[in-house]
Amino acid sequence: MRTRIATTGAVVVAAWALPYGLGSYTIHVVDIALIYALLAIGMGLAMGVSGQINLAQVAFFGVGAYSVAILTTHYGYGFWPAALLSVLATVVTGLFVGIPALRMQSHYLGIVTLGLALGFVNWITNAHISGGADGISGVPGPTLPGVDLSSEYLYYYLEAVVFGLALVFGLFVVRTSLGRRLRAMRDDSLAAGATGAEVPLLRMTAFLLASLYGGLAGVLYSGLIRYVAPETFSIANMFILLAMVVIGGRRSLVGCVVGAIGLTLVREWLSDFSTYAQLGYGVVVVVMVVFAPTGLAGVPARLRGRYERWRGRETARAELRPFTPYSPVERPDTAGVLLAVEGVTKQFRGLRALDGVSLAVHEGEIRGIVGPNGSGKTTLFNVISGFYRATAGTVRLVGDDTTAARPYALSLAGLSRTFQNLRLFGQLTVRENVLVALDRSRTHSIWRYALWQPGVWMHERLLRAQADEVLERFGLADFAAAGPTSLPYGIQRRIEIARAMAARPRLLLLDEPAAGLNGEEVQQLIRIVRSIRDSGTTVILIEHNMGLVMSLCEKVTVLSGGNVIAEGTPQEVVTAPEVIEAYLGESDLAELGMDTPEAADRPDRAKEATS
Amino acid sequence: MQDTLQTLVGGLSLGAVYALVAMGFSLVYRTMGLVNFAHADIAMIGAYAASTFYLTAKLPFAAAMVTAIVVTGVIGLVIERVLRPLENKDFDLMLIGTIGFGIVLQAVAVLIWGTTGRAVPSPLHAAPLDILGIRVRTYDLLVMAVTAVAVVALALFLSRTKRGAAMQAVAMDHEAATAVGIDVGRSNALAFAIGAGLAALAGGLVGPMLYVDASLGGALGIKGFAAAMLGGFGSVQGAVVGGIAIGVLDSYAAGHFQGYSVLVTFLVFTVAIMVRPTGIFGERTVSRA
Repeated sequence: MRTRIATTGAVVVAAWALPYGLGSYTIHVVDIALIYALLAIGMGLAMGVSGQINLAQVAFFGVGAYSVAILTTHYGYGFWPAALLSVLATVVTGLFVGIPALRMQSHYLGIVTLGLALGFVNWITNAHISGGADGISGVPGPTLPGVDLSSEYLYYYLEAVVFGLALVFGLFVVRTSLGRRLRAMRDDSLAAGATGAEVPLLRMTAFLLASLYGGLAGVLYSGLIRYVAPETFSIANMFILLAMVVIGGRRSLVGCVVGAIGLTLVREWLSDFSTYAQLGYGVVVVVMVVFAPTGLAGVPARLRGRYERWRGRETARAELRPFTPYSPVERPDTAGVLLAVEGVTKQFRGLRALDGVSLAVHEGEIRGIVGPNGSGKTTLFNVISGFYRATAGTVRLVGDDTTAARPYALSLAGLSRTFQNLRLFGQLTVRENVLVALDRSRTHSIWRYALWQPGVWMHERLLRAQADEVLERFGLADFAAAGPTSLPYGIQRRIEIARAMAARPRLLLLDEPAAGLNGEEVQQLIRIVRSIRDSGTTVILIEHNMGLVMSLCEKVTVLSGGNVIAEGTPQEVVTAPEVIEAYLGESDLAELGMDTPEAADRPDRAKEATS
Repeated sequence: MQDTLQTLVGGLSLGAVYALVAMGFSLVYRTMGLVNFAHADIAMIGAYAASTFYLTAKLPFAAAMVTAIVVTGVIGLVIERVLRPLENKDFDLMLIGTIGFGIVLQAVAVLIWGTTGRAVPSPLHAAPLDILGIRVRTYDLLVMAVTAVAVVALALFLSRTKRGAAMQAVAMDHEAATAVGIDVGRSNALAFAIGAGLAALAGGLVGPMLYVDASLGGALGIKGFAAAMLGGFGSVQGAVVGGIAIGVLDSYAAGHFQGYSVLVTFLVFTVAIMVRPTGIFGERTVSRA
């Protein structure tokens, strides 16, 4: 902490002293570099942090710059009112460009945003109001009483202040609730939805942030250069900006800044050999992508890792500690129906995965759902948790019709789930995985980021304390700072349950929680699930391990071919003739107790199509 | 009516070129799940190479085209080899990597051919045909014919040859393909080389229609990508339909909105793709990654 304050202080002092040592041309280059750094932060927030391939960032820059130029020269606005309106105009443009992100992702989004950016350049090169290919010159610069901002030295200080605030705000966003949700969405948008993140709103937020920074950069550019022309906002410059962000490290805002400032300086230095410089950027981008995908920002961590491996130093042995049971609550004598599934049918083109399934789960129950592979168990979970919309029938949670509810709404209503194929947020730490689920605030409370930052911070401290409690309870404290993907499988399963429970659900859906666990781990799982139920959370679990189902569940529902073929206590169910028939040919009754490996479910693939 | 038909004919020939770009793009995408943003710049290199062999080396037009296809095929092999460690892993990184290659190819083009572009004369000197009052340039007919031949050849290759079938298998499941003894690396390399060859064919054909310079890739490529999306990513017939759709749209936009044609084209495209993200011949899954 102390070193961080010292570093920040040193950077501030250096930034303040910098102009004293620079010539008039060099300060101009530095001014340009800061503008690109602002632009790169916006790009990093959209692409690296939120995973939205936004190739229209340079158009946001252009909208900001052109708006200032047009408002001041055509409509006679002063610089400051024009600047404010321009940033607003850019944000509106950003939200417009972001709309396609609601329907498509990755390369689709890349091509659409690139096309819109090309459309913007086409418009400014032809429109009369934007001065056509000649652009607009004679933009009046900003004025401040007592400060001559036409001096590039003093303009530097204006930029430095804006940039410093923008960077701090960006870092604040990334490290608190909103940024964590954005990163969770980037890593796995389905799991993010299931933990209560409103994915569509978050995607728009990503574009809002990107355009906000783009607009600020554009305004500062107009005020500095006093002239705007289409070639500054060309697709070629978009790709240079991309190179800055990739080389610096797209997931780290500081990396983006380093990349932007570094590349701007290099570009200026090599301006006599611009083609060779361009060749160089291209080569560096390719090399970075193949050998250092995290960019320059990721290099220190990689070196440290390599150094520690070379030293062969054993870090303090981390171990999975036992689970601390919840304190049980009194169970009411007459438990109401918590979840009611009535006549649910799910049709995938030619395949009827669920055919009129009905079941009622009471509060405080542990319900098992079993059935042969492909019988529709996971599809049922996906319908209940809002990933699929049932073709027919209704789902009620605590009496409310939730058939058409979105996953985030169900999560906020008290439903949590785990996934058959583990869907942890790979680039977040274990603690952050838990924090995402702990955070029950609605996404629209992000207004606090603009108006009441201390509120965000207090909320954050509260969440962190709670996260430590959850990690402690599930015996995961030693792994709080680790990335989940590097941990053993059994621990990852435990993290998923901890994450699901962090949301304090009324109903917990566990999709094959014992798959891949050894005997001892299965015993621990049984204890955990019992304690969860005793704490007042109802549990439904899909399982192939009949030993676990027999000892844990009070009631079992058997699915086959999309139909409920039996329901009752485990003993009743295993002797029912329909059940024996359903399993025959695949395995006989004696083998039912054994773990049957399940191939990747087909409905799971179809789920990806709907996302 | 006359005008409308005239615009349609103009759109068809450019659309045929977009279809070729989209086809190469789709072939690479469906085989290895790689969105090749350098594809457009490969087409640009193809256009330059074809024009150089045709104008400077005085080769016949057809021979110049074949040479250009071979040259770009080799470039395709190099790109595939460098990015191979990322295949089937990180989708976004591959995408950025190909953008990096695009930057490199543009710089190389400027270094070799300079910043001033060149106009390529049409290899056919026959007067335009007059069909029911519509003027059809003979070169446009040639472009459409070559495209048709390329489409049929690619379809036959994919469905009738062993290598083509292997490529389809890799597209469906690369792990299962490895398990049955297909060399996935070689199959991907071949797909990439064919894709690059198709790009060169598009670039070479568009030379006499547009002005050849280092920015040609940008214009040609983004519309080619748009065509692939509109038709349905990864589908050969989709590429053809999408290419013609974008070509005709482009041609109408140019007729009615003059300078703003690019803006109008992309706004219409964005709306269309929002309505149907999977395109006309929709892909099985939207997010392959």
